[in-house]
Amino acid sequence: MSRFLAHRAGVAGAVILVVAALAALLAPLLIPADALDVTRVTDAPWQPPGAGHWLGTDHTGRSVALLVVQGAGTSLFVGLTAAVLAVGIGTLVGILSGHFGGLVAGALLRVTDFFLVLPGLVLAIALSTVLPRGLGTIVLAIGLTSWPTTARMVRAQTLTIEARPFVERARALGGGHGHVIGRHVLPSVVPLVLVNATLAVASSIVAESTLAFLGLGDPTRISWGAMLHQAQLHGAVPQRAWWFLLPPGVAIVVVVLAFTLVGRALEAVVTPKR
Amino acid sequence: MRVKACALLAIATTLVLATPPATAAGPVILKVAIVQQIDSLNPFLAVFQSSTEIGRLMYDSLTAYAADDQRVTEGIANRWEPSADKLTWTFTVPDGKKWSDGQPITAQDVAFTYNLMLTNEVARTANGGFVANFSSVTAPDDRTVVIRTKAPQVTMLALDIPVVPKHVWEKVTDLKNYANDQMPVVGSGPFVLTEHVPGQFIKLKANKNYWRGAPKYDELHFVYFQNSDAAVQALAKGEVDLVNRMAPAQFDSLAGKDGVTRNKAQGRRFTELLINPGAQTRTGEPIGNGNPALKDVRVRRAIAQAVDLDALVQRVSLGYAEKGSGLVPPVFGKWHWEPDAQQLHRFDPAAANAALDAAGYPRKDGTRFTLRLIGRAGRAYDEQASEYLKRSMSDVGIVLDVQLVSDNQLNEMTTVATYDLAFSGWATNVDPDFILGLHTCAQRPGPDGKGGTTDAYFCDETYDQLYARQLSEFDEAKRVEIVKQMQARFYDQVPAVVLAYENALEGYRSDHFAHFTTQPAQGGVIMAQNGVWGYYLAEPAARAEQPSRGWYGLGAFAAALGSMVVAIVVATRRRKATAGERE
Amino acid sequence: MRLIGRLAGAALSLVMVAVLGFFLFRVVPGDPVVSMTRGRPTTAAMQAELRTQFGLDRPLHEQFWNYFTALLRGDLGTSFTFRRPVADVIGERLGPTLLLVGTATVIAVGLGLWLGVLAAWRRDSAFDRATTGVSLTLWAVPTFWLGMLLMMATGEVFPSRGMRDTDTAPDFFSQALDIGHHLVLPSVTLVAVVCAEYVLVMRSSLLEEMHAPYLTTARAKGLRDDLVRRRHAVPNAVLPAITLVFLRFGLVVAGAITTETVFSWPGLGLLFYDALTGPDYFLLQGLLVVTAGAVVVMNLLADLLHGVLDPRVKVV
Repeated sequence: MSRFLAHRAGVAGAVILVVAALAALLAPLLIPADALDVTRVTDAPWQPPGAGHWLGTDHTGRSVALLVVQGAGTSLFVGLTAAVLAVGIGTLVGILSGHFGGLVAGALLRVTDFFLVLPGLVLAIALSTVLPRGLGTIVLAIGLTSWPTTARMVRAQTLTIEARPFVERARALGGGHGHVIGRHVLPSVVPLVLVNATLAVASSIVAESTLAFLGLGDPTRISWGAMLHQAQLHGAVPQRAWWFLLPPGVAIVVVVLAFTLVGRALEAVVTPKR
Repeated sequence: MRVKACALLAIATTLVLATPPATAAGPVILKVAIVQQIDSLNPFLAVFQSSTEIGRLMYDSLTAYAADDQRVTEGIANRWEPSADKLTWTFTVPDGKKWSDGQPITAQDVAFTYNLMLTNEVARTANGGFVANFSSVTAPDDRTVVIRTKAPQVTMLALDIPVVPKHVWEKVTDLKNYANDQMPVVGSGPFVLTEHVPGQFIKLKANKNYWRGAPKYDELHFVYFQNSDAAVQALAKGEVDLVNRMAPAQFDSLAGKDGVTRNKAQGRRFTELLINPGAQTRTGEPIGNGNPALKDVRVRRAIAQAVDLDALVQRVSLGYAEKGSGLVPPVFGKWHWEPDAQQLHRFDPAAANAALDAAGYPRKDGTRFTLRLIGRAGRAYDEQASEYLKRSMSDVGIVLDVQLVSDNQLNEMTTVATYDLAFSGWATNVDPDFILGLHTCAQRPGPDGKGGTTDAYFCDETYDQLYARQLSEFDEAKRVEIVKQMQARFYDQVPAVVLAYENALEGYRSDHFAHFTTQPAQGGVIMAQNGVWGYYLAEPAARAEQPSRGWYGLGAFAAALGSMVVAIVVATRRRKATAGERE
Repeated sequence: MRLIGRLAGAALSLVMVAVLGFFLFRVVPGDPVVSMTRGRPTTAAMQAELRTQFGLDRPLHEQFWNYFTALLRGDLGTSFTFRRPVADVIGERLGPTLLLVGTATVIAVGLGLWLGVLAAWRRDSAFDRATTGVSLTLWAVPTFWLGMLLMMATGEVFPSRGMRDTDTAPDFFSQALDIGHHLVLPSVTLVAVVCAEYVLVMRSSLLEEMHAPYLTTARAKGLRDDLVRRRHAVPNAVLPAITLVFLRFGLVVAGAITTETVFSWPGLGLLFYDALTGPDYFLLQGLLVVTAGAVVVMNLLADLLHGVLDPRVKVV
């Protein structure tokens, strides 16, 4: 903990994340009931920032500031769940292919390498075109395409650990697969997995925004990527409506950067310098 | 020393790049933005609207629609005569019309084109519907085409089939894979296709041999844009001269822009809300899983009454639309139908509530039942209108479960009828036959669930009888009357609510092109006409200034890049020098 | 032996790509012919004709066999949208993408490696902090957003779309200038995003190298720090970074999709987007197979290159 606190950038990132999470959780309290209902909004569309709306209004007259707050929830949710899914699959595959030898490991390794090579975004796009639109699809598309890096790292770590004398001793004393994995391998990969998960959230949020921008997002939900999609769809660039384009993008950059900084700080803590 | 040389080189490059190339007085070009892809330039295969439009510029049809009032006028043929039993039509192709390569256009070309479609399945891909009722097409001499039909057909003057030159196309062996890209492509229309770079542009040159007279400018370029946003920007910058299909907000953004004139035209499309009336196949087998409550016409009428069409026009279309009523849009004046006060489903939530109570669907805990509303994700109209409908329906106790899906899924859900409510829409022709025929019982899918074209699943005996009658009614006034009765019947039975006829929003550079001819003359469109008048009759401005380009942008960028290279070189050299000295 | 193993692995990957490409797009419900003709006057007979033309009336296993044997001949099927062989459609879009991706990669690699070396060199200096900070931020920026911002910010300075104007004189110089003019914004966008990754990798790679024992030896021999770094550390650190350029080729592909979409650059990325809006499944499948195949091949190249250049790499 104290070692983490030594990384100022990491601490800054963590603070940003706490703020973003609070915004997402408190969104229902911060936003008046009908403020984002296009059928009930009475304000003029395309208003530049001013007294009434300090970040202006979008193409339907909704407040951009409130939209950004509302969008935090979806973006964070997708980022977190997709990362958990990806890291979960990665850890499972990594441990299995590291622990068991032979055909299983060979096949798993082959599949991992295959997915490691494939352009993740292309695959995610293909998946979300094919599946019904919705949050689940996005999470699945991102999660299923971004697990191989974790799998590789976890596998390497597993191999290292299992080569250690104390694991060999445990095995000699009759410890089964479950015992070795549960007592020795898992605890040693947890820190690594944590770091990976943090970085995976960052890339998942960017991936979500890209999918939403391409029109593959969940159209009934507001996310930062969906806002940018709307901005493009309704002509924010020719109208020079910078207030509609800038805030969601900045929100993505800040949160993604925060996750990256925290991830790097954790990484430094977990793998001490030689 | 070398550093200086590098720096000089970089500066020189910058200067060269920053100097605009001398622009000679070139040809006068009309540049048109298109957003939709071109599927094929082979007129037998081209299905997309953009491709058929370019096809019309290249090839005339037998007849055409006048610019001012859309009446039938001279095309390749200048006279036509049906026989007394209306089964034989004789068209006359006058002397003197020429293909762009100088060969005369004759009745043989027409007969060749039509017979190709009658004998070759592939040739029917795009326009097969027009010849389905033909029994034979012959050309007894070079001036006369004789078409015999199996049954009387009122649409014989609406044969929107590009006629191709026999001397070119008789050599084509593999029609399916023929791209029609032997430039310049021999045609009969006002323009000749000269270049096509897929995904980038299509270039056409004025046809000097065109029988109506050559166009008033030299070249017509269609430039492909990935979205209308980019197209609108390009129009504002003067990179293109003509843009259509703008979104209302984009149209508004061009208000008062120097050199840009906007054209708000009546569109040929309508947007509708399908209400699944209990979908069945042609043989009467129920398909899909529509809510059974919707089989009750009283419920469908109540839903129509609960929808505030004015609000949709004002808030979703920002006023750039007309309130929906009949199946034929008002742009086709005489065929369009409006309900009278008695027929009208007036917006009245209270009456709708009462009607639903009376139909036997009382509210329980405030709600009556739930309906799925299917719309297309990414279509701005669906995304916004569904919010309004959700609210309107909740006012009458109906819960809407809005599902916005991909185009493909939307099609799938409407073809297997797994919807309660869904957004749809159709483009209509000058002749209302297609859009009316779409809602006959025969258009429902076959027993295997395939082969249907309707998505409304309307099947009504009265309507079908009227449809058959209008198809063989050659007195136009009487036919108009029947067509209106059909629309009234459709409106009364509510298999769908026509929500709006959206305006076609166009804009053009009036500093480059002074005048465009719209069709029809009042409130008509420039692009997507039933004809080529908008492009063909465009008049360049007296002093058509070619827009000057912002080359300084490239210059500045080159300068930045150049100085960066210099910086790297300098940095490296200096370090080397010091290192060398120290060693 | 190692070579054969790698080649076999790559071949297996290519087969997996082909299988994935087919089933991913074929298991979904939906009739592509209906999508194609939606909203237009079409009769049931015309739809049936289209279905036969595209072989959609055959059983799935037969479709797969036809697809797979055709693929081996380099035939990727026919695009619904363009009514032409997918291979042709993809082929004619290859040029613009290679131009954009090539330009961007060259600039990004040059700039990225150079900045990375400088940052590692002056570790923990203000320059290092700034470079790392900017790189991390750029890494977090969605490509399409950056493109839209640049477009809005530069206003009328650069063309808003495409690769060239239609009325440019046909001579080489005018055409090259015009294409260069159009290329600025898309390549800047792509460089900004890709470059960040290269900076970070080059930096950490060089830092790692600078701890290597042989450098200590070299230093102990009395060589000056600067010289040690330039003569030994940099060349050794560049190697993994260059390999990474190949390995992360997928990243460039992804960047190209969004960049081309924003700037209407007529390459494969834009084609991908167009195929999505259809959706044109044969085209999507062809694009997936081609891009994934290209990435597999790039990886193989990187692998082999690495082995040739760096004798320390052992058979794993």
